[in-house]
Amino acid sequence: MTDFLIYLIEGALIGQVYALIAMGFVVIYRASKVFNFAQGELVVLGGYLVWWMVLGSGLPAWVGIPLAFALAALTGIVIERIFFSRLVGESLFSMVMVTVGLLVLLRGVFLVIWGAHVRPFPMIVPMRPLILGELFISRSLLIGGAVTVVAAVGLSWFFNRTTAGLRMTAVAEDHQIAMSLGISVKRSVAFAWMLGAVLSTVGAIVFLNGKSLSFLASDIGFAALPVAMLAGLESIGGLILAGLVVGIAQGMAAAYLDPLLGGGVSTVLPFVVMILILFFRPNGLFGWKLIERV
Amino acid sequence: MLELNNVEAIYSEVILVLKGISLHVPEGGCVALLGSNGAGKSTTLKCISGLIRPEDGAVTGGNITFLGKRIDALPAEAVVRRGLVHVMEGRKVLEHMTTQQNLMVGGHMHRDAARRRQNLERVYALMPPLANLRQRTAGYLSGGEQQMLVIGRALMAEPTMMLIDEPSLGLAPMLVEEIYAILAELRAHGLTLLLVEQNTRAALEIADHGYVMENGRIVMEGSAAQLKSNEDIREFYLGLDQSGERKSYRDIKHYKRRKRWLG
Ligand SMILES: Nc1ncnc2c1ncn2[C@@H]1O[C@H](COP(=O)(O)OP(=O)(O)OP(=O)(O)O)[C@@H](O)[C@H]1O
Ligand SMILES: [Mg+2]
Repeated sequence: MTDFLIYLIEGALIGQVYALIAMGFVVIYRASKVFNFAQGELVVLGGYLVWWMVLGSGLPAWVGIPLAFALAALTGIVIERIFFSRLVGESLFSMVMVTVGLLVLLRGVFLVIWGAHVRPFPMIVPMRPLILGELFISRSLLIGGAVTVVAAVGLSWFFNRTTAGLRMTAVAEDHQIAMSLGISVKRSVAFAWMLGAVLSTVGAIVFLNGKSLSFLASDIGFAALPVAMLAGLESIGGLILAGLVVGIAQGMAAAYLDPLLGGGVSTVLPFVVMILILFFRPNGLFGWKLIERV
Repeated sequence: MLELNNVEAIYSEVILVLKGISLHVPEGGCVALLGSNGAGKSTTLKCISGLIRPEDGAVTGGNITFLGKRIDALPAEAVVRRGLVHVMEGRKVLEHMTTQQNLMVGGHMHRDAARRRQNLERVYALMPPLANLRQRTAGYLSGGEQQMLVIGRALMAEPTMMLIDEPSLGLAPMLVEEIYAILAELRAHGLTLLLVEQNTRAALEIADHGYVMENGRIVMEGSAAQLKSNEDIREFYLGLDQSGERKSYRDIKHYKRRKRWLG
């Protein structure tokens, strides 16, 4: 029973890490309709920037981390300016190909700047587990989960209630309508890339805390994809629930199926869940449905 | 207030759609732009608002001035900031947002929250049906409600002039009347209107001046009264014969031959 509870809680919390990573993806997708295959690279970028600003330069974390956020935002806007601002209105296919190109390019840049060797990632959040009776729960995962929920609630509020956020939501709905209302689509998309890069950096801190960092950490981008798809690509709040579903399913599979079937099930399962759910609900659980009126 | 001088426009760098349009909208006036399908009415509005550019179009000749200043090179958002809004054809609501969110985002350029609230209440007072639909998803509103919503959303920007494209399209006669009553009220409050319509009858009721477009050119112009009594307009757009009787569809058909301003 205790084992089951631990698997359940850990799975749920790891799902929230996926949700946090997926949030960066969703913010960019909403505004620009760019399906960013390089999301994992943005996480690695954030990871390296945090490493660089905290361990590399020896700055205290409370200075280094905000600096890393600022640099991430700057990189986000540079990426948008160089690769995507001229592509507005181009086909979905060419956009996706550009993100694949971006993925390869960023990988190369990381190798050139930071090399291939594995580096320790700073411990921003204490690793000491939280002990509740017989349950040992990772404190960093717990804090990560809280960060995810706070970020999701904050972003939902921003996109639905504030003027600047409503502008972004209008851009997410329809670029032409947004322009007719006097909204600068260019600025909104640039802002989305900044926000996406910063969220990816937050995701990197939660995901990599106390672990090691190399360019291979970008796999998390693909692991987060099922959560984004399941939530429906447009929904920020939906990421929390989608994260829970995927994380718990994966945790359970790791605990009870992998030993029987020899590993691997837990890695594939999120994608199976994603395909199954999309089969029945093509817009995910909370995505925008196509509204057809007569 | 708004002046178009020999404006030419193309799409995709080759398709010439406007071939020298000149028109004038005086301050506080209401001008109707009439013409059949594909004449270039919507394109004319897009040239003015700058929305032609995202459609891979461009103004390639002539000039457009609003309040004495050239606007043909401005991006769409700058035109809105000058007080000129474009209500596009086809009731383009932001489908997944609520009625209220649609309205609020229409007033996004005003920093003062109290002012936005005040404008919101003004819109609800002008269009009471919307007040009961505040939290409804805009995509599910009826056609008439959506038309009100896009007009209200444009008003949130506090425009001095509105370009409005086929507000009566696909609406039942009663709703057309309701929408036009709203436009008349806005006029009375000093809003300048440039109205594109296929519904010539409704347009000439409210407008004081009109232009008729065919094939990318202005082929006729006159006061609303002149246009209403013009023989060709009566025949082709109002479907009346000389005595003012409504023509049957069979009779109208053969008049197509007589479109004397074509070409
Ligand atoms: N984005 C575009 N690209 C290429 N051609 C276009 C584009 N938009 C419109 N056109 C063409 O320009 C011409 C004028 O179109 P426009 O929409 O201005 O006509 P309209 O007078 O508004 O017609 P309607 O009454 O049917 O709305 C049409 O022949 C149309 O096919
Ligand atoms: Mg049109």
